[in-house]
Amino acid sequence: MRFDDNMDRDQAVGGGAGANSSSDFVSPSSPDARPNGDWLTILKVRKLYKMLEDPSYSQVVRWGDDGRSFVVLENERFTKSILPKHFKHSNFASFVRQLNKYDFHKVRHNNEESGHSPYGSGAWEFKHPEFKANNKDSLDNIRRKAPAPRKPPQVIDEAVPTQQMDLVNTQLVATQQQLQQLQQRYEELNIHNSILTQELIGVQKTVVNHEHVMQNVMSFLHSVDARQRRDSKVGGPFANTEENTAPSANADPAQQQISPLEDEPASPLQNASKLLHEMNADVQLNYKNLEQMSEVHSRNGAISTPPPDGRHPRAPTPAGSSSLMGYAKLHGEQDAVVYPVGQTNGIDPMYSEHIHNIPYPMPSKDEIVDPRVSAPTGRKKSTQVDPGWVRPPQILLVEDDQTCRRIGSKFLYSFRCAIDSAFDGLEAVNKMNAGSKYDLVLMDIIMPNLDGVSACHLIRQFDHTPIVAMTSNIRSDDISMYFQHGMNDVLPKPFTRDGLLNMLEKHLGHLKQIPDGMEPMVQHPGTSIPQSSAGHSLKDESSPTESPSTISNWQSPGQFSGISPTQAAPHQYMHPMHSGFGQEQSPVQYQVPHTDMSAPRQMQHRRQISEIGSDYISNDPKRQRIYDQTNPMGMQPMARPR
Amino acid sequence: MAESENGSTGLPDLGDSIDALTFEQILEMDDDEEEREFSKSIVYGFFEQADKTFKEMDSALENNDLVTLSSRGHFLKGSSATLGLTKVKDSCEKIQHFGARKDENGNPTHYDDRKFLSLIRDTVKVVKADYKEVERVLKQFYRDPDAH
Repeated sequence: MRFDDNMDRDQAVGGGAGANSSSDFVSPSSPDARPNGDWLTILKVRKLYKMLEDPSYSQVVRWGDDGRSFVVLENERFTKSILPKHFKHSNFASFVRQLNKYDFHKVRHNNEESGHSPYGSGAWEFKHPEFKANNKDSLDNIRRKAPAPRKPPQVIDEAVPTQQMDLVNTQLVATQQQLQQLQQRYEELNIHNSILTQELIGVQKTVVNHEHVMQNVMSFLHSVDARQRRDSKVGGPFANTEENTAPSANADPAQQQISPLEDEPASPLQNASKLLHEMNADVQLNYKNLEQMSEVHSRNGAISTPPPDGRHPRAPTPAGSSSLMGYAKLHGEQDAVVYPVGQTNGIDPMYSEHIHNIPYPMPSKDEIVDPRVSAPTGRKKSTQVDPGWVRPPQILLVEDDQTCRRIGSKFLYSFRCAIDSAFDGLEAVNKMNAGSKYDLVLMDIIMPNLDGVSACHLIRQFDHTPIVAMTSNIRSDDISMYFQHGMNDVLPKPFTRDGLLNMLEKHLGHLKQIPDGMEPMVQHPGTSIPQSSAGHSLKDESSPTESPSTISNWQSPGQFSGISPTQAAPHQYMHPMHSGFGQEQSPVQYQVPHTDMSAPRQMQHRRQISEIGSDYISNDPKRQRIYDQTNPMGMQPMARPR
Repeated sequence: MAESENGSTGLPDLGDSIDALTFEQILEMDDDEEEREFSKSIVYGFFEQADKTFKEMDSALENNDLVTLSSRGHFLKGSSATLGLTKVKDSCEKIQHFGARKDENGNPTHYDDRKFLSLIRDTVKVVKADYKEVERVLKQFYRDPDAH
């Protein structure tokens, strides 16, 4: 049987409309059509009958046990899945209303012994004397209760109210649906808004941090500028080069643009200072507004991140670093403390879908044991291993346990590293925020005040120094979380001396002296491949301990001094099309795809520029590796001597 | 010392509650193998840490404070592991798990808090005994007059 589905909508609106268009329903597919029949009734009732014949619905709607009634067993499923299929709407009340119109009656069981329907308490049973299972013919005897209203002339007074009621009902349903949609939309927007707000706060914080960095750089540049002019009177360009490398440590591209050219040093600096000053105030202002907004959100529960229990990172924040405090406060209430103290293993495996993407292999027994087993012969010779740094790497050890901290420091010291330590994440963030520069951060995870993952998250807002998690929590979901929040590697606890050394060599390869006869690809990693940590790589360029092999790879002294890094680089960034230098094109090409990186990249460019000369091509593969290395996920550093 | 001949058997008197390899790499940091100034200060620093932590655990037990117990367990786990005090470390790890309402292997379980507290109470007894043992061994090793 085939029915025109439109009929039901017409019926729902009211009998009048259906009557007017009843000729539409005279179709060959209705063999029982009677000239004076009620088409709507016939079709509707047949449809109902057909629906009951479908065995796949028997759990939801079926004939009653005696075949004289039919039962809707599961109201909700019936409304949601069956009604729309057969009657083009999903409104149970409307369905019941129509049934009533055709003189179906709900069977009530309240007065029987049990007081419950035999089909379950939620079941609706309907009955019509002519509506029986296995008796299709009697269906035709079913009529609308009040056929009269559809004879317009006589009973128009009665018909109109019914029509209007139906109309109003339909409109009500439609309105309710609209309202529901609006509500959903509102909730979505609310969530989006809070996400955006948080993102924006993050971005603003980054900007503020950049401001700070730039201000530091500015003041430093001022001093360098003064010194430079003084020196240039005394010693000429070659004497300057060592110091000139230093200021660019933290330099952003913008900073470099305004850094002094040799001949007119002072006024750009002053302009830049003025600009910085103006910009900074604005940013701070907006930041506060957003902060309030975000707090309102978190109060309203729009943000679902659970607050950290107990130890709030806000409390111990020293008053000195106000910007950090604001940040910790915001995120303390929302998402920064991803690893609350004391709930060590209660962490939800957030981002668990990334587990398979971790480039870090789970530490196997072999990895840990192997170096120790092989060690004794070599190790006993000297406890003071010298990995051959071109200068002592600056390591920040963040660890609340003094035993671990002391042993770790001792090991690091034996590897000829310069060590700074922090008691907890907060101290670490403060140190780095205050401008301390390190080559590597070794970070415990569970610490008081601010855990390592949160600290890393904060540090990543303004710094890209490699951060290695030092932890005994090395389940895969833990590890994926570490990486997710910007950590570069994991050193399982208890760490071994060799494990620590491996980690140093892995992440500080750029600080190692290269023995003669290294593969030509890596010509002078010690100097030309500063890693993601800003600043310190400078020192090795000017370091007196520089190995002869690296020096020999440089250009002639004359050329080197002629293109002194600080002056060459800013000049080029400022006027990329300027044709003052032969290698002009290189910084532009490097620069474009990597604008997200700040200081360290600039460093590389500058080094490239000053030494690049003709072998731009041969440097290319090496650059590739550099990016891999600075990428938090790219774990394999370049080739390194062992 | 004997360890220079064979890296792993140099300190037989440390017993099986101490992981020789881990402890040796700390001993190697000593500049003077007679004085052993560095490792001794680390070990005695650990003694103080452990005493303090046990007191904190005791009072947390009185206050039924699972969170603190877990955090203290974790704390002592880290330092004992770094020194290679395997048994102490294992017990501390259990305390950390129980305090976080998990079983001794770190899997979530559904005991009530009294059960966790009683598990911790038992484990604290064990860890204290284990600790006494390594303390004795280590004090002997450092020729501490207190050792017996």
